[in-house]
Amino acid sequence: VTTPAKASEEFIGAAEASRSPAVPKVPRTAREFVFALCIVGTSTLVALALRPYVAPTNLAMIFLLGVVVIAIRCKRHPSVLASFLSVAAFDYFCVPPYLTLRVSDYEYVLTFVGMLVVTLVISTQTARIQKQAEGSAISRQKAEAARIQVETEQMRNALLSAISHDIRTPLASITGAASTLQSQGEKLQPGTRQELLESIAEEAERLNRLVTNLLDMTRFESGIELRKDLYPLEEIVGSALQRMGRQLDQRQVTTYLPESLPLVSADDVLLGQVIVNLLENATKYTPEGTPIEVAAEPSDGAITLEIRDRGPGFAPGDERRIFEKFYRGRAEGRGVGLGLAICKAIIEAHRGTIEALSRTGGGAIFRIRLPLEG
Amino acid sequence: VAKPYVLIVEDDPQIRRFLRATLTAEGYLYHEVLTAEDGITQSEARRPDLILLDLGLPDHDGLDVIRRVRESSQVPIVVLSARGQEADKISALDLGADDYVAKPFGVGELLARIRVALRRSAPITDEGTVRCFGRVEIDLDLRLVKVDGEQVHLTPNEYKLLQVLIKYPGRVLTHRQLLNEVWGPNHLDQAQYLRVYVAQLRRKLELDPARPKHLQTEPGVGYRLVIE
Repeated sequence: VTTPAKASEEFIGAAEASRSPAVPKVPRTAREFVFALCIVGTSTLVALALRPYVAPTNLAMIFLLGVVVIAIRCKRHPSVLASFLSVAAFDYFCVPPYLTLRVSDYEYVLTFVGMLVVTLVISTQTARIQKQAEGSAISRQKAEAARIQVETEQMRNALLSAISHDIRTPLASITGAASTLQSQGEKLQPGTRQELLESIAEEAERLNRLVTNLLDMTRFESGIELRKDLYPLEEIVGSALQRMGRQLDQRQVTTYLPESLPLVSADDVLLGQVIVNLLENATKYTPEGTPIEVAAEPSDGAITLEIRDRGPGFAPGDERRIFEKFYRGRAEGRGVGLGLAICKAIIEAHRGTIEALSRTGGGAIFRIRLPLEG
Repeated sequence: VAKPYVLIVEDDPQIRRFLRATLTAEGYLYHEVLTAEDGITQSEARRPDLILLDLGLPDHDGLDVIRRVRESSQVPIVVLSARGQEADKISALDLGADDYVAKPFGVGELLARIRVALRRSAPITDEGTVRCFGRVEIDLDLRLVKVDGEQVHLTPNEYKLLQVLIKYPGRVLTHRQLLNEVWGPNHLDQAQYLRVYVAQLRRKLELDPARPKHLQTEPGVGYRLVIE
């Protein structure tokens, strides 16, 4: 019962591990300093080139532009350093007298101060925005973790109620029938005895299917291991029909499997399980005596396999939800709601798709698309 | 006719209980042991006609029992295995077990397996050279195959495959065993060819090749020619 929860925790753990920064911190700061120096250098070269044509105050704009770029891209320290260097470079190269740090006109002090203030303001703002972004990423992670936990919790509850209902019901029938036979065996009509015996066998079979599904699902939660090979689809469909056995006695099952179908690359046991689950679904949810069709055809680079019935079809919106774990499409659902979730897990492991469609003229179609290669 | 003597190697008391009931009702004699060790020694001491062997025994793997028994005896072995352990089934069969039933199994299936396995060890009566199942008639002497009285042409590989299957009617044969018998030991990993030939045989011999009555698939394990 605890396995799904554990699987989710492992999933979270794995996500965290993969999120750890791929780039170490120290080189990043070093890179930022180098970046800042390059920008200041570029600003200086551009300013020098423009110096004969442009007034010094306007040259300051070039340095300012460089500093803004640095402040946006880098952390505070490279930005401040860059603004001091820019002021110095501006003074040294662009303010007469050139090539000294002396200043002839004290108006330039205003330019220096302006540049420094702009740098500090922008880099502070940038740092704050970065922090906020990180913060919201963390809270998003927290929300995601909480969501997964809620889902795990819901799943556990659904599992528990499924188990208490779907395991207890057949167990109750078995216990009842067996104890009746035990205590009143002699007095019962032969017909009644036979009925009780049949119900024991059927209910035990139902329990077996349930346990199989639960085991499969927990196994698939931790990843499906496929044993793929090339198979004629006919063989996989055939052994699924064979496994269904007497469950299909009351049904007309028609198969449309053209001889020209290419071999499919699949795990025969698991793909067979998918077909069995879909056929069981059809027998469970459609009236006795209604026909079932199994049809396949090649479609570019893939094989499309359809299981079609003439039952009540889907309630609106159910076409997607029925593949969710523990979702039961119809109120009188007689399963745990795992069969289709298992189908989806298996088909997706084959890199295929499975969808449910309403059929024209009434009924349901389950359509599987399996890629040919791989 | 002497009643067949079955050695039951199974540790679960409930399973033994129903095996006892079934075997008695069918007129078999039996002896029960609970461990692999006892299974090996009792199979030598008692010389049973058949061994029913559980693979999950408390002391050793059931596969060890098959290995040890096969060192000195060809007694038919039917394995009781859990579902989903295809690898175990294949190992058991390749080690020389005759067949398996997957738990939980019905009595009908178990008895069918036992009968087929016992038939293998029965002294060969002269059955002639014509074999029949369903609509199919095979003349092993003339290498002729007829369906509903009409002669059907089989390729040499298809015929060879059918010949191997008809040699072991009712018995599961692993991919490996079939590949070895039909194509030889150098082609043991080419199961997809085998599948293609089986598909072709079905088209020629079965009424509905997608729902074969005779040439049945044992998913993940191999094939079985059902003739009754």
